Amino acid sequence: MTVPGWLGNVVGRALLGLILLSAPSGAQAPQGQEIVLETTQGARLAIAVPRPAVSGVNEGKVSTDFHAVLQRDLSDSGKFAVLKDGLPSATDPSSFKAWSDAGAEWLLAANVNATSEGIEVVVQVSDVKTGQDRKARTAVFSKRYTGKEAALRRMAHKLADDLVARLTGQAGVAGTSIVFVRQVGPGIKEIYQMDRDGANVAPLTAYRSLTISPSVAPDGRLAFVTYKGGGPEIWGQRTPGGAMVRLYPLSGKVDGHCFCPMWSPDGRRLAFTQGDRRGNTDIMVLDLHSGKVRQLTNSNCLNTDPSWNPTGTQLAFTSDKDGTPQVYLMEEDGSNVRRLTREGNYNGSPAWSPGGTMIAYVSRFEGKFDLFVYKLADGKSYQVTTGVASSESPSWSPDESRIVFSSGSRGGMQLYSTDLSGSTLRKLTELDGCQSPKWTRSR
Amino acid sequence: MRFVRNLIPLSVVLALGAGLACKQPEPPKPVEQPKPVVPAGPTQEEIDAQKRAAEEAARRKAEAEAEAARKAAEAAAAEKAAAYKRAAEAALKNINFEFDKSDIREADKAKLQAIADFMKAYPQAKVQVAGHCDERGTVEYNLALGERRAHAAQAYLVGLGVAQDRLTTISFGKEKPLVQGKDEKSWMENRRDEFQLQ
Repeated sequence: MTVPGWLGNVVGRALLGLILLSAPSGAQAPQGQEIVLETTQGARLAIAVPRPAVSGVNEGKVSTDFHAVLQRDLSDSGKFAVLKDGLPSATDPSSFKAWSDAGAEWLLAANVNATSEGIEVVVQVSDVKTGQDRKARTAVFSKRYTGKEAALRRMAHKLADDLVARLTGQAGVAGTSIVFVRQVGPGIKEIYQMDRDGANVAPLTAYRSLTISPSVAPDGRLAFVTYKGGGPEIWGQRTPGGAMVRLYPLSGKVDGHCFCPMWSPDGRRLAFTQGDRRGNTDIMVLDLHSGKVRQLTNSNCLNTDPSWNPTGTQLAFTSDKDGTPQVYLMEEDGSNVRRLTREGNYNGSPAWSPGGTMIAYVSRFEGKFDLFVYKLADGKSYQVTTGVASSESPSWSPDESRIVFSSGSRGGMQLYSTDLSGSTLRKLTELDGCQSPKWTRSR
Repeated sequence: MRFVRNLIPLSVVLALGAGLACKQPEPPKPVEQPKPVVPAGPTQEEIDAQKRAAEEAARRKAEAEAEAARKAAEAAAAEKAAAYKRAAEAALKNINFEFDKSDIREADKAKLQAIADFMKAYPQAKVQVAGHCDERGTVEYNLALGERRAHAAQAYLVGLGVAQDRLTTISFGKEKPLVQGKDEKSWMENRRDEFQLQ
């Protein structure tokens, strides 16, 4: 596993110099407001993405929905550095020397044309350095994308993911989604979904009730908590695309309130938190097929926030068993409980990385919360954000290159994403009252 | 009409009598005859109507009395309900907590005693205890902490003699703040148990 931009020598609570500022009010930047520009190209491949040649299609739309989206996707991937300054005026791909002199390694030439069915985007990417030798001049990538004009954004995402795959052998995440909670009225919250870059925001529930804590299964099924029946219950989908039904409790009788559903990596089980008659809470696991529930913790304290490792054999969770909220790990049968976080008096919201080697969490320090990443191999924590506002609820991108989280003042909470070094921070929403994002490839 | 029909034969008798003899000095009976003339005997219809009217009057009176009684009862019930509501409002005051704590504060024990007294005075009262947190801390951990805060008050009230099945609990974590401020006073107001009649 590689972590571009990872500052391996930074330990503990050392700061990375990224200040998470509140966005200026009235800012009109619904997608990806870049607060700190990338400063290092490091392992990134320098790619030039000149304006596409457009024929029969609205040029403004191509510019905003394709060209700008593509450049941002490539930059967000962490694999490419998109050249922006000192570019040749000519867009003629044949003048490879000029592009090479400008620092480009790859040159992306795109034609966007109207067709009888809609539009086509024809892309050719050339290696500029080898391209200077006419005999060696070959396209490193060429592909034709087709669709309706409304699909321009999706085509840009697909192209960016294809280029990341071409470069690294692993699929990119430009075309992924984020499921989150949005406040829509006093005491009313609903589950929403949007594209990874903040576009196409759409509601998934409309209960006019308090509905929170979404989790997305590998096949896209949702689970969440809703108070629409009075008390909190776990609702969600038993089949992909199916109706929302109550998943737990199975009958109307509630022994203890249920919170925090979290799909296991195989999508067959739900870990969740259940209260007991004394006001303690424990981690439970529900097998969706058998309906059987297993209690994993049984201590006189609060245990909550379960997060599976990618193989479903262990869980991270938050417990105050030692007096203050801390992150612990345990086996999936509840055995071998061991404490992960040692610094600070409030650590929580663990999120196990998709590759299994890191756990993101939040830690309270000087009155506010920041994101940290615990690297299991190092046995050490690394600070990701340093904010003037509290940052909460980290969730990993499927390629574990970035983390989406909520930050801001109460009511004004927005969603952001950052790479692990904290050097590229993106504001994703302008929708006051966003929380609990979950990054997914499956919706 | 019957009156008229009776008169006609009477006049015929008188005429005949006068012409036949004086021997019969008896006063003519006709005076007796007209008895039926006594206006009246109420007809069956009239009797029925009178009866109906009397019944109607009695019924109206009874109705008015019942209405008055019902209104009095309603007023009494409304007053009782209002008194219940006033007592509930007076007793069901929020209690507050320290950051990340669920211990009942000394200052709130009198409030809980008032709630227990109210629930003993009104055996019909069932109360939901809702635990809340301030904005600091994670969404999920605060939901658990709200559970514990609700149960802390429930346990305290049970200790004061209120039956446990009259007290339900719920946690809203930090999802429903009472006030929006970002200072310790606002946070303290938001770290609370609310008590609501069910």
